[in-house]
Formats: sequence, structure tokens, C-alpha cells
Amino acid sequence: MLDVRDLTKSYDGVPAVADLTFTVGEREFVCIVGSSGCGKTTMLRCLSGLVAPTSGGVTLHGALVDGPPQDMAYVFQDYSRSLLPWMTVAGNVSFPLPYKGLSKAEAAAATADALDAVGLGDRGDAYPWQLSGGMQQRVAIARALAYQPRILLMDEPFASVDAQTRADLEDLLLDIWRRYRITILFVTHDIDEAVYLSQRVLVLHRPAHVHEVVEIDLPAERDQLATKRLPEFGELRSRVLSSLRAPDPAGVNR
Amino acid sequence: MIRARTADWALALVLPALLLVAYDGWARTAGNFFFPPLSEIGSTFAAEWLFTRVPTDLLPSLGRMLAGFALAVAVGVAIGMLLGLSRTLSTALDPVLQFLRALPPPALIPVSLLVFGAGDSAKIFLIVLGAVWPVLLNTVDGVRGVDPTALDMARSYRVPAHARLTRLILPAALPRILAGARTALAIAIILMVVSELVGADNGVGYTVQLAQRGFDIPEMWAGTVLLGLLGFACNAVFVAVERRVLHWHLAVTGRATHARRP
Repeated sequence: MLDVRDLTKSYDGVPAVADLTFTVGEREFVCIVGSSGCGKTTMLRCLSGLVAPTSGGVTLHGALVDGPPQDMAYVFQDYSRSLLPWMTVAGNVSFPLPYKGLSKAEAAAATADALDAVGLGDRGDAYPWQLSGGMQQRVAIARALAYQPRILLMDEPFASVDAQTRADLEDLLLDIWRRYRITILFVTHDIDEAVYLSQRVLVLHRPAHVHEVVEIDLPAERDQLATKRLPEFGELRSRVLSSLRAPDPAGVNR
Repeated sequence: MIRARTADWALALVLPALLLVAYDGWARTAGNFFFPPLSEIGSTFAAEWLFTRVPTDLLPSLGRMLAGFALAVAVGVAIGMLLGLSRTLSTALDPVLQFLRALPPPALIPVSLLVFGAGDSAKIFLIVLGAVWPVLLNTVDGVRGVDPTALDMARSYRVPAHARLTRLILPAALPRILAGARTALAIAIILMVVSELVGADNGVGYTVQLAQRGFDIPEMWAGTVLLGLLGFACNAVFVAVERRVLHWHLAVTGRATHARRP
């Protein structure tokens, strides 16, 4: 579905993303981990069509990504900056919909559905700044859902909320992923989160390229306590961690 | 909370009241021709400005001031948006704008009288020329200060450029634009008076000057008091509108300030 081939993005000759190649299949949940500053955000900006790559390319359903694609939604790390404070929660969620060709009634229905899906059905008239951080990020997720994408790109979306809220949001996201049958590409620096959420973890080294792919063969049904207690969970966790820390001659030589 | 606000109001009124009483006491004993007692200024004020001169002088003044202010805001926001969005344009226009900005508007009264004649246009032109700058410069700053994440968000959701401008960039820049407009309003009132001192045949400024020349001192003071009240009222109305329009901004920044307290 999403096909990334030899993607390279350099700034002033210094590569932030170098020969990045991977594919994401339909309805897959893929996590990307990498240390901070390894070019994850630059990679996402290329994948989402916000910036043009220096070389290589991205295709979505076989079509070259040369601008933000229609059936992709991007959830930013910083909800306080991606939500518009002068619009209500419902206003934020429905903001992109008229330009997608939805009528007023369709947009209102999609907004109500999406807010229900994230458990904020009764907060549509509130303003984002009246809500907690976790709720604000749920609004950002609702905005992505209302847009009815087939693939969701998420840039460390739960990095700035507390641990309990984070666990709740993770389970909410898994639930949404199953119910909406969408593809999710989730970037995080948290190894536990990556292993817990995904079916496959791509470990990136700097400048962003795939160092190793770890298949997550955990049972499909995940549970914050039971799944994380499994011995396999611990093993996968250590595998990802050692892969992250592994020396990478290819990376050093670039 | 409400009791505290009432107390604040009362406290704020103490000094003006004291000043008025002190002035009146002094003016009555001194008997200075140029400083008549309050009662005299008050009765002239009532006779002239309630409401004989309202249609002949106050409304024309207000009309020119508001027209000039509105034009200054429209022009300032339009040019400010363009300059804020395009570095090339702002670099190219910068020297010209700096020069125009440095010109003291009253220096252009002779030119504007020649070009526009003695009518309203010359006066409105003068007000626009003086009041446009704070709006323009603040709009540029406001537009440049729009959060790049918000712009990325709108672009990633394929929100078209015109909608990004009206629904994202303009509202995001609005706190700065209104701050500029508030300064522009004060300038507009000043230039309203200045423009009426030369080549005018009506207006509050004209009336004050005429009274001064005719040694009608209470009338001069009554007009001056009116100008003070006018400025005060304009600012109060503006602040009320600003509070309503920017309720979200006040809530966000207000909360941030609140959070810093121990």
C-alpha cells in the first residue's frame, strides 16, 4: 500500500534520510523507532508529501506522493499547536472536511461519529484549551478519523501525556485501528509502546534508514497488563533495544 | 470577585474626583480668565455639545475618524498579509515603506490639501497615512508568527490556500492585528483633530481652535473635554470588542499566566 523506495532527503548536503526503503501493507500497524534526531520527523514529512525528497520516492496505492495525498491523515506530536484555539472541538475536527467535498450535513455527521469514536461525543462545543492534554490529542485523532483516511501517519502522538493517559490512548488507538480497518504508521521513541501496538517494528538508524525489521508475533488481542507480562514481550523488547543500540557501519560511513 | 471589582472601580474614581474638586476650588478663588470654574465649562458643554453641535461638528469629525481608521485597518491588513507571506515582496518594499513611515503625517497636510482640496478626503487621507503603520507592521509580525505546525496540519489535510489564509493565518494573526488597530485608533483620533486645524469648516478640532481664537475660553475647554471623553470611549468600545473576538486568546494566555503563580 505505502511503498517507500530509496528515499533520501538532504539539507545542505547533509542527509537526514538516506536510502530509506520499506513497505507497509493494507491494514497493517507498523511502528518506527529510532533515537531522537535520527530523521524520523523528516521522513514523515516526506511520506506525507509536505516536503519533496532529494531523491527516491514514495508511492501510495501505486501513485507517486508529490503533495499531501487524499486518503492520508497526519497526527502531529504537538496537539497544542496542531489544534486551532479559536475553533471549538467540533470546529477543529470538521475544519478540513468542506475542502474534501463533504456537504455541511455530511461533515457534521462525520465529526459526530469521530468524536464518539474517541469518547468525546459530548465535548464538541468545548474549546481545545478547556480539555486535558490527553483529550486534546484525542481531538486530533478524531480530526484524522473524520477525514476518513486509509492510512494514518502518527508522529510520537503520545509523547507529551502522562503514563496512565498514554496507556488509555494506546488501547483507544488499537480499538480504532480494528474498527476502522485502516493502516497505521506510528513513529515513537518508546520501545514498549512500539512492541505493544504494532505487528512490525522498523528500527531506524541515523541518517534515517531501516537497520532491522522486527516482526511482532504477539497474540492479536493486546492488553496493557497481560501482553506486557508475556515472556515474548520481554524478548521482543530486548531485540528492538539491542537493534537500536547496535553499531551500524553503513550509518557511520554516510 | 465582583466585590473586588466594585472596589477597584471605586478606587479608580477617587483620583479623578479629587482632581476635579481641586481644580474647581482653585479656579473659583484664582479667577483666572483662561481657567474657568467647572460649572462654567459644564454649562457650556451642555449647551454646545448636548446636542446642538453633535450633527454639525461631532458627527462629521467622528465620520472622518472612523472612515480613516477603517481604511487604515483594511489597507494595513491587506498589505501586511502580503508582506508577511512573501519575503521577496517585503524585502523589495521595505525601503519605500520605511520612508513613508518616517514622514510625520502633519507634514503632508499642505500636499493633501492641494491634491484632495479642503474636503473630507484630505482629512481621511491624513488619518489613513498616520494610522496604517501600526496595523501593517503588526499584521506582518502576526502572519510571520503563525505556528508552522498549524500550517503543516492544514496543508496535510489539503486545505486550499485561500482557506488557509482566511481560516488559519488571519485568525492566528488577529491578536497582533487588533493590538495594532488599538494603537491606530489612538493615532486616528489625534490626526482627526490635527486635520481639522487647517483648511476645515467644521469638526471638534475646528470648534476648539475657533473658540480659542475668539477667546471663548469655556467653549474651548468644553471641546477639549469632549475630545478626552471621545478618546476614552473609543478605547473602551475597542477593548470590549477585542475581548469578545479574542476570548480564546485571553483564555489561552490567561491560563498560562495563571499557571505561573505559586
